[in-house]
Amino acid sequence: MAPPATAVADSLASPERPRDSRANIDIMAPTHGVQWPYFLALGAAVLGVLQALTVLLYQTYVGLGVAGYQQPVFWGVYIVTFVFWIGIGHAGTLISAILFLFRAKWRNAVNRGAEALTVFAVITAALFPILHLGRIWKLYFLIPYPNQRALWVNFKSPLLWDVFAISTYASISIVFFYIGLIPDIAIARDRATGVKKAIYTVLALGWQGTGPQWKAHSRSILHLSGLATPLVLSVHSVVSWDFAMSIVPGWHATIFAPYFVAGAVFGGFAMVINILIPVRRIFRLERYLTEYHFENMSRFILFTSTICGYAYAAEYFIAWYSGVEYEQTTFWLRAFGPYWISTWCMITFNVIFPQLLWIKKLRTNLPFLFVLCLFINLGMWFERYVIIIGSLSRDYISGSWGIYVISPVELSVLAGSFCWFSMWFLLFLKVFPVIAITEVKELEIHARDHGGAH
Amino acid sequence: MSELDRRDFLKLVGVGAGAAATACAEPVEKLVPYVEQPESITPGIAVWYASTCTECPAACGLHVRTREGRPVKLEGNPDHPINQGKLCGRGQTSLGRTYLPDRYPQPMVRGAGGSLEPSTWDDAMAQLAAKLASARGRTWILGGTVGPSLGGVIDQFAVAAGANRIVYEPFAHEALRKGTEAVFGVASLPIFDPSQADLIIDLGSDFLSTGLSPTENARQYADARNVNTDKTGGTRMISFGPRLNFTTTSADQWIPAKAGSEAAIAFALAKAVVAAKGTPEGVDAAGVQRFLSGANMAQAATAAGLEPGELSAVAEALLHAKNPVILPPGVAYTGSQATSTVAAVMLANALLGAVGKSLVVPPATGTNDAASLADLKVLVAAMKAGRVDVLLIHDSNPVYSLPPELGFTEALGKVGTVVSFASLQDETAESAGLVLPDHTPMESWGDSAPRPGIRSIVQPTVRPLLDTRALGDSLLELGRGLGGAMAEGSFHNVVENNWSDVNWRQALAQGGIFSEVVIEPVGISGDFAGLGYSASSASGKGEFALVAFPHHFLSDGRGAALPWLQEIPDPVTKLQWNSWVEMSFESAKRLDVGFGDVVEVETPSGKIEASVFPRGGIRDDTIAVPIGQGHSVGLYASMEGEGEHGGWIHGPIGAEGQPGVARGANVIALLPATQDEMGGRVWGGAQASVTKTGRFRRLALSQWTDNQRGRELAQSTSLAELAGHGSDHGSGHGAHHDEPPHTFTAAYDADPDQPYRWGMVIDNDRCNGCSACVAACYVENNIPVVGETQAIQHRDMAWIRIERYVGDGDLEGGAARRPVPNREKLGELDVRYIPMPCQQCGAAPCEAVCPTLATYHNKEGLNGMVYNRCAGTRYCANNCVYKVRRFNYFDYGNENFPGLLGLMLNPDVTVRQQGVMEKCSFCVQRIEGARQPAKDEGREIRDGEVKTACQQACPTHAITFGNLRDDASKVVEAGNHPERSYHLLQELNTRPAITYLAQVTRDENEGNH
Repeated sequence: MAPPATAVADSLASPERPRDSRANIDIMAPTHGVQWPYFLALGAAVLGVLQALTVLLYQTYVGLGVAGYQQPVFWGVYIVTFVFWIGIGHAGTLISAILFLFRAKWRNAVNRGAEALTVFAVITAALFPILHLGRIWKLYFLIPYPNQRALWVNFKSPLLWDVFAISTYASISIVFFYIGLIPDIAIARDRATGVKKAIYTVLALGWQGTGPQWKAHSRSILHLSGLATPLVLSVHSVVSWDFAMSIVPGWHATIFAPYFVAGAVFGGFAMVINILIPVRRIFRLERYLTEYHFENMSRFILFTSTICGYAYAAEYFIAWYSGVEYEQTTFWLRAFGPYWISTWCMITFNVIFPQLLWIKKLRTNLPFLFVLCLFINLGMWFERYVIIIGSLSRDYISGSWGIYVISPVELSVLAGSFCWFSMWFLLFLKVFPVIAITEVKELEIHARDHGGAH
Repeated sequence: MSELDRRDFLKLVGVGAGAAATACAEPVEKLVPYVEQPESITPGIAVWYASTCTECPAACGLHVRTREGRPVKLEGNPDHPINQGKLCGRGQTSLGRTYLPDRYPQPMVRGAGGSLEPSTWDDAMAQLAAKLASARGRTWILGGTVGPSLGGVIDQFAVAAGANRIVYEPFAHEALRKGTEAVFGVASLPIFDPSQADLIIDLGSDFLSTGLSPTENARQYADARNVNTDKTGGTRMISFGPRLNFTTTSADQWIPAKAGSEAAIAFALAKAVVAAKGTPEGVDAAGVQRFLSGANMAQAATAAGLEPGELSAVAEALLHAKNPVILPPGVAYTGSQATSTVAAVMLANALLGAVGKSLVVPPATGTNDAASLADLKVLVAAMKAGRVDVLLIHDSNPVYSLPPELGFTEALGKVGTVVSFASLQDETAESAGLVLPDHTPMESWGDSAPRPGIRSIVQPTVRPLLDTRALGDSLLELGRGLGGAMAEGSFHNVVENNWSDVNWRQALAQGGIFSEVVIEPVGISGDFAGLGYSASSASGKGEFALVAFPHHFLSDGRGAALPWLQEIPDPVTKLQWNSWVEMSFESAKRLDVGFGDVVEVETPSGKIEASVFPRGGIRDDTIAVPIGQGHSVGLYASMEGEGEHGGWIHGPIGAEGQPGVARGANVIALLPATQDEMGGRVWGGAQASVTKTGRFRRLALSQWTDNQRGRELAQSTSLAELAGHGSDHGSGHGAHHDEPPHTFTAAYDADPDQPYRWGMVIDNDRCNGCSACVAACYVENNIPVVGETQAIQHRDMAWIRIERYVGDGDLEGGAARRPVPNREKLGELDVRYIPMPCQQCGAAPCEAVCPTLATYHNKEGLNGMVYNRCAGTRYCANNCVYKVRRFNYFDYGNENFPGLLGLMLNPDVTVRQQGVMEKCSFCVQRIEGARQPAKDEGREIRDGEVKTACQQACPTHAITFGNLRDDASKVVEAGNHPERSYHLLQELNTRPAITYLAQVTRDENEGNH
């Protein structure tokens, strides 16, 4: 399929506002005006955040006992959800950085949304290791800072690696996101009035679209892509080592890093689709986000789903092949033990359902994709649930085996995390263009000048 | 302070900080410390006093550790001949009685509104004195067994007030006393010493759990079976009973006889013994024949549901053993022919030569012996007839512990004035008109004379914390008011005067006077009048035989007020906090119920509801319910103190925090108020029917499976393997597992420059699972009790737990959301206990993953835990392969020591904050406590100077602690048994500092191979 830019190549000039481009008007449209569904969604998200905050205050005050922890399961939904959101945060950087380096031009229409998703997903994820702490107020103990008591952190602990991996990833993602935004902020600045104009002016950092500025900009993007690319692989590898570096049966496996990265990309793309489909519809961006984009993302999903399937199979195979009874029991009980529902949901949603994407018609069927991706997100959450709870509840000392039941507090914080994420994303939609205008234009110009052929 | 001179001031300081603070009002009493005699209290230095445990009639000697004027820990008195420095879980936690928030703070008088209202001693005593003056001949005193001095005062008071006195104990062992009297003519309770026997036939005595002297007997039993010194494995035990009880798990053979067949078995065995040995000289042979005439081996086997061969094999074994002994049934199996049963057993024992050796019959003391149920019936009849004006109740809770069928509670309504001397709230005190709270044992003077040659003193170790008064003092005052001839002075003086024949200060310091007294051997007098065996039918028509057995910790219900005893799992079932109905899996299946399903148990006497606990170790025709729960009064005994945190996770258990709602059910309600041939109380023999209610109430089960899945957590070896060991090292107990990937010496896991690497050896063959170590650890280390709601969620905070596995295990199970132990089989015995404290690994998985280094390896090889540095990521607990780490989900440190309980905290151990991790520290405070004196003297810490709390408590000496770097240390010696030693999960190379010694299976027919 030809890049969609050809379809819009003739529309650079808008008849109504000849000095403005059609892309500017279409893509900036969501940032002004009143869309009722938008405000309803934002209101719901803010309410959701508020309820979760209230619940968290309660939890901090009375103690973590209001969550569902039961010995021997010391990590629960909070860590499950942490890994889930970190995984979601992968698609953005993958699309922005890796596909940029591979010159996959189709990414231009989706990269802004995906980058925003990354930033907000990482912000969401980073909250969870904090709010699962027994003593939140001692969070700073995890940071190596010089102090007169000469207290230091344990660099052997994967949790400390997490602190660095996540903070690094979050900062690079935010910088990357912001640099990419600058030309578009300038467009917003030029179209805004009053206070808004003043804010955009500051944020645009004096962007004039001059040649040297463009040169510096594209260099920055290139270099940041180079920096971000290894991070895509490293951050989830480090997160996976929270488990792989331990001695818990079902966690202690060398496959974890690639397995988690593949799963993260898989889940991240599913989330991008889940978000862009409604955005496209509500803000009428069908011209820019076409079936072509969704089909490409579907292919990624199909590919990473297969890797996940392989990883699942490899885990079970190695557990059996190792001859280690602890591993065998843990895996057997994942599938046929108290958490069998989670395990079979995980396999069905993450491996079996995505195989339908071999069918081309389904790859471009947006309602189908939307529903499929919802299932994938659910499946990916279950994957982490199975890994964490399934292993902890059935480890070495059988006499200490237990069970874990999610508590209402955890459920409301889980729901709150989606609201928190949505709130940021919705605010972003109202403030910045969800599609990179300059990059779309670049494609359009490219298409006009070269007849759309690469 | 002007009227106080320097000399007096120093004296006051010398008796304790509390005394110094309140040096007025009452005359100062002097306490004499035992181990050290400081000129004054040095803050930070413990002062020890000797005393006596009053929790059960065994009367073990105590060492009370006090800090800054308050007792913080009880330990056994090493000089005391009964417990020899050891103390059971009940004794350990009885310290809490002084600090429980549900103590009566002052005298209470029932007001016009019908509720108990605070009063003053002057008012309350005046009120009672007036009542007593007009109630001569119509006053009764009802109370538990007390020491000789207090007993004397009560008797004096009874004379002064013209009162009748009944000594009431729920477990009065009437049949044991009467049966002994029938055979030997001496009405006393025989003293059992398992170390003098080589074969014990246990007819359901449960002597290691709730017998007459469990701590002493546990030590003797373990010593008699020391496989290190006796390659034959020592004493053997064959245990009868429909249910695998605590003692049976330590036996070598379990014969699952029907409930109620004890009499038949006892008579059959006695008959076999008499047939083989003949009747001794001077005994009326015809009388013996007549007595045994109802017995019949084949018929006994039928009654017991056994093959006749099984029973005659036991008789054979009895006759072939050198020093056999038969133990009569315990409380749970005290049936309607209990006295005859005991008489038959004692007759056989006498003929077998056990009497005077493993069973010693002491002279009768007469006074202070508990009355029988028949005597109580007299009292109740008098009450019902309105012939009782004043009823004084002390040291007992008859409203709870008497069968409702007796009508005691209703009869109370007809008594003019009911006076309770309870220090803690209980059902009886709450239905009294006047409560005159007694001191707790830690605040009281008293004494005890449990057996000839042993006299010990109960010494107060703290000023009374509340406005209470010693029972003795109250009675002395009342008696004098009535013009009676009462002893001089205060009750303290009475005790001291009673000890005037010895050096009082020396007796105080060592806890009593202990001398070897040769007990005169008794001859068989054989007065069997009114006794004999006849096949009887059980009462009631239910399909199940009901076994109401004394709870290992709660006993007759007195332990229920102590939250530790509620929370520490019952050693046999691993259940906490509530009542349960044990039934076989087959019965549960037939009734279509499972773990936690509530059933109604009904007998002609009453009905109760409780949750089902299905298990393999009980006959299909039997159900069992523990005695001790079902209190409706008391902060912890009832549901009143139950927190609501997190109850929704498994659905609310109901009635949290509500006063007046019973915790569990009182099984005594199901028992008829019947008596045996000699008037003793009958606990066994009821038949019950069980119906499903359709409701579910989850039980707090601390261990969900007894299947160790072949993981060799609790290893076992046989005598044959032990004997074969030595030539082929690899084929010892570990024949079925490969060489570990790394062999290591735990001693190397510390800084090479350090003289110490602390380590421990736990001998699983000596461990009988009694959980005294767990109780000791709770008290020593300020471990909070979390309550039933939290216990249901596996959030107990125990730093040491006793895991209990059955057999080697297989790969079955683990899939259910509500697993229950399922490997017990009828008649099979391979129960393995394994105490599980922190293993203090040399290569600890927990240490590497802590991001803040809150848990770290110290120079002496310990896994340190810096509570202040813990942020609560809980990664360490996930990574701990032994699952010994515990997390403070709530602010247990503040919330779970309400009221006075905060005073019980050990000042040497940090109270942990909400959100931090904690675990066993090898009692690091005790190591540090020993380090300073050693440093002062310029030496190293000596072997044996540091004892961990668990080690100190263990009645069987199963735990040895010490320095692994010191080749001469006891711990190195104890671990030097390559044929039995192993490290837990050693293939993971965590290099634990604890060496376990495998349990030894002594006979081929033991275990489920």
